Amino acid sequence: MAVSAINASHEAVHARYEAVDSLYRETRDIRLLGFVLFLCSDVVLFSMFIFAYLYLRNSVPNWPPITKGGVQLPRFDVAFACINSCVLFGSGATMHFAMESWKHLNKAAFNLWMIATIALGIGFLSGQAYEYQHVPVTWTGSTMGASFFTLTGMHGFHVFIGVIYLITLYIQANRGVYTGSKYFGLTAGTLYWHFVDVIWVALFYLFYLM
Amino acid sequence: MASNIEKGIAFVLAIVVGGTTSFQLYKDWGTSGLDNNVTKLLLGLMAFGCVLVILACFGVLGGGA
Repeated sequence: MAVSAINASHEAVHARYEAVDSLYRETRDIRLLGFVLFLCSDVVLFSMFIFAYLYLRNSVPNWPPITKGGVQLPRFDVAFACINSCVLFGSGATMHFAMESWKHLNKAAFNLWMIATIALGIGFLSGQAYEYQHVPVTWTGSTMGASFFTLTGMHGFHVFIGVIYLITLYIQANRGVYTGSKYFGLTAGTLYWHFVDVIWVALFYLFYLM
Repeated sequence: MASNIEKGIAFVLAIVVGGTTSFQLYKDWGTSGLDNNVTKLLLGLMAFGCVLVILACFGVLGGGA
């Protein structure tokens, strides 16, 4: 796509975005700031658990650790995690397409991308459930298992809440709650979904690649 | 063998998703506002995640497992 066409498209979206009454604009900006601060607080929450994991990891000479029975725990399955990661990252891309479709007043494409996003989110959760059944550690057996289940479980809970959030947004959008210029809920949903994707980047690196 | 097939699938997916994400980031680069800037940051990190997946598929990261 030519740069001029992209700029013209952005300008049309921006013009619609600004074509709202001053009260809505003011509250939208405040709500947006509040939502970004909420995401920052979630970053702090995950950071605490991640630092605890790194502390535990560095407090033993070997990683994966050796159990009390003298058994060296294996590494997690990287190959399956790679596929599951792509499913989640792909859902981030489809969510972005959904948001762009809404901004460009293409409701049919919006519905399609939203359904794809929800399906991929459920796919990721299913993959995680499958992995929980096959992972070579338990919650109580080692610090590795405890850290893994705590962090990935917390992230999975966020994804689960995100899927419910997306379904709610989908229903609301089709009931006329949002318009071409007033769609803060969709913006917040997109940011939240991208956020859970990005948290997974950190967890994927820490548990499978590091 | 099964692991290699999984890695192959993951590699293709990572190329598609990473390429799409990078292109969207390029398209949105000129936008302004808090929501757009946060979105750009998060899209960039997602593209980085795809790079990690590609490196893991080639055994560069993840101990070649």
